[in-house]
Amino acid sequence: MKIKLTSVYVDSQDKALRFYTEVLGFTKKADFSNGPYRWLTVASPDEPDGTELQLALNNNPAANAYQQAIFQQNQPAVMFFTDDIKGDYERIKARGAAFTMPPTDVTGSTIAMLNDTCGNLIQLTQLARW
Amino acid sequence: MLEREQYTPGPANIARIQKDRGPNGEEKWTLVLVRELRHSPEKVWEAITDPAHLREWAPFVADGSLGTVGAMVKLTTVAAPKPTVSEARVTRADAPNLLEYNWGDFDMRWQLEAFAGGTRLTLWTNIGHRFIAMGAAGWQICFDVLDHLLSGTPIGRIVGPDALKFGWQRLHAEYAKQFGIEMPKWPPQAAEKS
Repeated sequence: MKIKLTSVYVDSQDKALRFYTEVLGFTKKADFSNGPYRWLTVASPDEPDGTELQLALNNNPAANAYQQAIFQQNQPAVMFFTDDIKGDYERIKARGAAFTMPPTDVTGSTIAMLNDTCGNLIQLTQLARW
Repeated sequence: MLEREQYTPGPANIARIQKDRGPNGEEKWTLVLVRELRHSPEKVWEAITDPAHLREWAPFVADGSLGTVGAMVKLTTVAAPKPTVSEARVTRADAPNLLEYNWGDFDMRWQLEAFAGGTRLTLWTNIGHRFIAMGAAGWQICFDVLDHLLSGTPIGRIVGPDALKFGWQRLHAEYAKQFGIEMPKWPPQAAEKS
């Protein structure tokens, strides 16, 4: 068994694809449609065959309520790991993303949080080395 | 802030594990910390219940006093990697001797006994097996900071990543050895790259 995919709900797949590729720097991996349904994933250019992130259209009222509630609680919908959080923060910020938390030292890691403009907060995490 | 820079924790010698059996025969571990303070139980009581005092030394911030039975108080864990707020209910508050409440899933029991002109503080907390040495190391540093605060020479809260700058890792390793538990292999890269 392997974990190959995780999903994040977005309010618009076109907008999400732009944000996750042009602003965050991921690359489009899969893009298929079947009628109104669209299977859309991105992957990291550092790990093209690594775990994919599905950008799933949030047209589900239950998921919508959940998404809004955790957003209001400042909880990230998805977390990405990096070895250079300061560099990524500057790069992503320069491309216009709004950070709700700059890189901040916490127990075991340095984290930053940004708004993906599609209904989610995203956390960037760099693990501390003891 | 020179006091803070010069601070370094002593040997790991204030904590032990109390082992009990749960209702289904499972082993239950409770971390027990004993710390002697050169201040009256009344003074220590204020420091463990009053939000303005707690924020100077404790690993959480309280939005109200913990000193009243039945009080519901929001405790925000400082420097947690995700916003972590838990609602504590004070179940016992016999000032200035006995205080009980929950911090998330942990039961916290504080006992203050007058002792040689000061106070012997005992904390029982049922932190899980995997984190018991970490908790012991963290509380030991917090109690040193508390002692400085009560003595009128505050050095500022040392919790979360700050503790790593003040010898937390050594304390953690000493407690893990004393308790006979394996050092958690976390974070995963540390062993290879540091």
